[in-house]
Amino acid sequence: MRILLVEDELEIQTFVKQSLMGAGYEIHTAEDGKAAALLAAKHVYQGLIVDLGLPDQDGIDLILQLRRSGVTSPVLILSARRSVDDRVKGLELGGDDYLTKPFAIAELLARMRNLLRRNAPQAEDSNRLRVRDLELDVLRRRATRGDEVLNLSPQEFVLLEYLCRNAGRVVSRSMLVTEVWGMRFQPDTNVVDVHIYRLRGKIDTEGREPLIKTLRGIGYVLQGS
Amino acid sequence: MFFKAANPTMRSAAWRISLWASLAFAIGTMLVFAMLHRFVANDIQRRSDAWLSGEVEVLGDVAARTPKDSLYRRVVGEVAELASREVPNRQRSGAEENDAVFFLQAGESGPAKLWVGSGDGAANLAAIRSTRVVRDVPFDVQVQGASIPFRVASVSIEDGSNIYLGLSERDELHVLRNLRVRFLTLWGAMVLLGFVIVFYATRKMLGRVSEITEAASRIGQSDLSSRVPDTSGRDEIGHLARTLNNMLDRIEVTVHQLHTITDSLTHDLKSPLTAVRGKLETALANGNAEDHAESIGSAIDELDRLTEFLNTSLDVAEAKADALRLSRSEVDLDELLRSMIDLYEPSMSDKGIGVKIQSAGSIKVLADPGLLHRVVANLLDNELKHLPASCMVCVSLRADDRMATLTVQDDGPGFEAGIDRHLFERRVKGRASRGHGLGLAFVEAVVRVHGGSVTASNRHEGGAQLTVMLPLYEAHRQEEASSLALVHG
Repeated sequence: MRILLVEDELEIQTFVKQSLMGAGYEIHTAEDGKAAALLAAKHVYQGLIVDLGLPDQDGIDLILQLRRSGVTSPVLILSARRSVDDRVKGLELGGDDYLTKPFAIAELLARMRNLLRRNAPQAEDSNRLRVRDLELDVLRRRATRGDEVLNLSPQEFVLLEYLCRNAGRVVSRSMLVTEVWGMRFQPDTNVVDVHIYRLRGKIDTEGREPLIKTLRGIGYVLQGS
Repeated sequence: MFFKAANPTMRSAAWRISLWASLAFAIGTMLVFAMLHRFVANDIQRRSDAWLSGEVEVLGDVAARTPKDSLYRRVVGEVAELASREVPNRQRSGAEENDAVFFLQAGESGPAKLWVGSGDGAANLAAIRSTRVVRDVPFDVQVQGASIPFRVASVSIEDGSNIYLGLSERDELHVLRNLRVRFLTLWGAMVLLGFVIVFYATRKMLGRVSEITEAASRIGQSDLSSRVPDTSGRDEIGHLARTLNNMLDRIEVTVHQLHTITDSLTHDLKSPLTAVRGKLETALANGNAEDHAESIGSAIDELDRLTEFLNTSLDVAEAKADALRLSRSEVDLDELLRSMIDLYEPSMSDKGIGVKIQSAGSIKVLADPGLLHRVVANLLDNELKHLPASCMVCVSLRADDRMATLTVQDDGPGFEAGIDRHLFERRVKGRASRGHGLGLAFVEAVVRVHGGSVTASNRHEGGAQLTVMLPLYEAHRQEEASSLALVHG
């Protein structure tokens, strides 16, 4: 999959490009709006990552300009601003997404993946999830590890479901707050961690191989097969 | 019903202005009238005095020349009778008997030598004798039994007696009373009419002012790009509207500049933060820094805290300057609180803190959801950080017809004495607090830009209480509808 990254800060451009390439995407980069428009006219991109603070124009204007010229691929907006203004809100409603700087790479990858999946034909959106010996029946809200039925609260089930759907990938705390609790903020205290500890207490019981791993400063990962 | 309608009117500036204007007008015209009245009264008196003096002179002359025989009384009587027909300011009453004038000749003592007039003249003589008389100047005499005083002129004749000519002041008083009655009637009507005209004129003027006020306050609350209408007038109010709009132009420029500054500051600070964080994260993910994983992780944590601090500082700064950018939508506080409690409950129970929620159900406000989430999170973070174990937090939500009230109370040690007054200032925190001291300043600033208020207090029964009040979504919509109606009306 080919992605166009429009970011004027070279340092940021470099590590974003590396991590995206590491995740298997093909990346083209542009440093300003003009170069981005030229590239977009020449190639077809499955997704775009656009920084709002470009040297020659506002990122939103670039996105609107690309949309007018027929580019329909989803856009992930990078913004250094603290609040999301109404124009970004509008784009978000239109199916695009935004990320405020500084961001966790894990989150960037997760959001990009979500955006691309939205456009791609729905893959096996199964109601049965399986990670090693952990099994989730999403319809019946039932979770088992091995042959033991896990006694989870509804909230814990949603949390575990999200971890399972992203098995093998890192999820950050703010991703969990957004996806599981439907809010967008960075908790000042360890509220998310406590939820994870509790969940871990029910899943990774004595004598079993631990599935949920903490990555200090980044987030959590449910280890896949 | 009448009072309901009258009270706002009577409290209005138009009412007070017209009241004062009418009062000033009434007093002024009354003073002018009093002067006029005095002038007219004096003039009338001067005329009657001149007549009296002239007539009494003639009568004196006649009396002196007429021989004192049996005809004397008739001759003088005739002359006096004739004179009385030429009374100035005469109001012919139609009554045959002439009681407006009397003629009296009398010595210093003893009965009257000659009396022409109604009655026997004894009372008149007694009254004249009891009055201190200044020679050659007419004087007032109040006769016993008569309600109206007489103006009397006197002259001495050779035989040592005095001739008195008296003229009733009835006609004079009648003229003056007529004048007063007519003036007062007209004056009352004029004052009333003046009041009504001033009231309606000022109300119309001030109505335009309050339209401008209304529009200006709406602009202050929502967006800075709109302008006050009614700028076309060439009068003071049109000037006021234009001045306000100029001021709004300047405020908009200032706010825009503030945004530019904070945006470029955020951008310049966040670019290196993003780069550093990204590199640290890449280093961790690549797995070639296993030995330093711990320190890199904590470096990332610190970076995140720095970012959070930067964001909150700038938010508080912008909110204090009323320049916080809001992206408002309908938010259900009940739903928000339940999700929040759901998120915070495990951490709280881990610390031995109980939490319960009391809510009457869905309560909707118009707010920036992201900011509101952080406000509630801040309140709960506060409890989580500062409350000792085995305490209880109670979050309650209720609404009256305009405001939603969110109360967070606990039974902990309460706010430190001395800190409570400065609670909402930046960088104020308890001695034991490890936070950056921005939490409640942020809460207060965000709630205020949403048109609400925050109060903090220590409860009587112990513990702290924070109350957040926000205008209801319905109240917002009604306000908007009424101000729109006002603009188009």
